[in-house]
Amino acid sequence: MQKPIATTRSATGIPTGRLAVWWVLASEIVIFGGLLASYVMHRIGHPEWAVAASHTNTWIGATNTFVLLTSSFTAVLAHQAAEHGDGRTAAKYLFMTIGGACTFILIKSLEWTHEIREGFVIQANGFWSFYYTAAGLHALHVIAGAIVMAFVARDAMKGRELHRVELVGIYWHFVDVIWIFLFPLLYIAK
Amino acid sequence: MSEQHHPDYKKIYVALVILLAISVAGPHVGLKWLTLITAFGVALVKANLVVENFMHLKWEKVVAKWVLGVALVLMGLFFAGVAPDVMEHTGDRWVNNAAIAAVARGIPDEEEEGAPESGGAEQAAASTETAAAPAPAAPAFSPETQFKQVCSACHGMEGKGDGPGAAGLDPKPANFTDPAFWADKDDATLVKAIREGGASVGKSSAMPAWGSLYNEEQAKQLVAYLHTLKGS
Repeated sequence: MQKPIATTRSATGIPTGRLAVWWVLASEIVIFGGLLASYVMHRIGHPEWAVAASHTNTWIGATNTFVLLTSSFTAVLAHQAAEHGDGRTAAKYLFMTIGGACTFILIKSLEWTHEIREGFVIQANGFWSFYYTAAGLHALHVIAGAIVMAFVARDAMKGRELHRVELVGIYWHFVDVIWIFLFPLLYIAK
Repeated sequence: MSEQHHPDYKKIYVALVILLAISVAGPHVGLKWLTLITAFGVALVKANLVVENFMHLKWEKVVAKWVLGVALVLMGLFFAGVAPDVMEHTGDRWVNNAAIAAVARGIPDEEEEGAPESGGAEQAAASTETAAAPAPAAPAFSPETQFKQVCSACHGMEGKGDGPGAAGLDPKPANFTDPAFWADKDDATLVKAIREGGASVGKSSAMPAWGSLYNEEQAKQLVAYLHTLKGS
C-alpha cells in the first residue's frame, strides 16, 4: 500500500518521524521540567520536607534506576539490529525492553503499596504530593512506551517499519533520563 | 538510518551502572556537599551519556538540539521567575504566613491531625541522620522558639514590630516592648488574637489566625512570653 507520508524534511534534513519525536520530547521537557522545577523550589523553601523524604527507600529507587538503565541498553541494541536490517533481533531486544518496563512498574507498585499502607498517601503533605505526581506521571510514560514498543516489535519481527525501532527507542531513553533526575530528587536528597 | 554511528554501547552501559553505584554510595560518606555532587552532578553526567550516545543526539542535526534547548530554557525561565517567591517566605513587603506555619509545624498545611510540633529546620536537618526511623518524637513546646520562627516575621526578633514583613503593613504590627501596647489589653484578648486573628479583637486583619498551629494552652504560653519582652 502506498502511504502518503513524507519521509524526510528538506528544511532540517531529519527524517519526519524522528523530527516529530524531538518535538514530542521538547513538550515533555516542559511538562516534566515545570513539575520538577516546582518540586525543587518548594523543597528548598520547606526544610521540613526532609522528614518526609527520609521515608523513601533508596534501594528500591536504585533498583528501578538499574532496571531502566538496562532497558535503555536493550533499546539501543534493538536500534542497532534494526539498522542492520535484522528485524527479528530488533524485536527480541524490544521485548526485553518491555520486560524491563514491566519489572519497573511491578517494583513501583510494591513500593507504593507499602508506602500507602504506612500512611504516606498523596495528600499526606507537600512532599508526598510531589512524590506521587512526579513518579506517577513518569510511570504513565513507562506504560505508554511499553504499549507502543509492543506494536513496533510486532512489525519489526516481520521486517516492517524498522525505522520505528529507533523512534520508540529515543522516546524510551528520554523516559530513562527523566528517571535519572527523579531518582536523586526523590530518593537521595534527604 | 543512512548514517550509522555505533559507540561502544556496552561500555556506556557499564559506565552508567558505575555512576549509579556512586550516586547511591554518595550519602554514606555523610558530607552534604559531596552528596549534592554525587546525586545531581552524577545525574547530569548520566543523562548526558544517555542523550548523546543512546539517543544519538551527538550525531543529530543541530536543529534538534535547538528544539530541545529552547524547551530547557523555558524551564529555566519558569524556575527563575517563580522560585524567588516560593523559596523565601518573607520579602520586603510580604509574608507567606501559611508557609511559615507549615515549616514551624514540621509538616505542611493539609494535615491538621496528629501533626508533630517539631522545630522546623533544625528538626528536619537532625532527622536526616536517622533515615529509616519513624517520625521523630515531638520536642517540648517552646514559646520563644515559636516566636522567633513564626511571629518574628512581622513582629521582629525582639518583638518591636519591626520584622521583615512589617514594611508592607499598615497599621504596623504590634510593638510588645511599648508600654502603650499593654495599657489596654488583657491576656484573654491576646490569646484570642493569636488563635482567631487580629480582626477577632477589632485589630488589623493582617494578623492571621494561628489556631491551627497553637492550641489554647500554647497560645497562653506565647502570651506569657510576650510579657517577658515588655521590659527589654
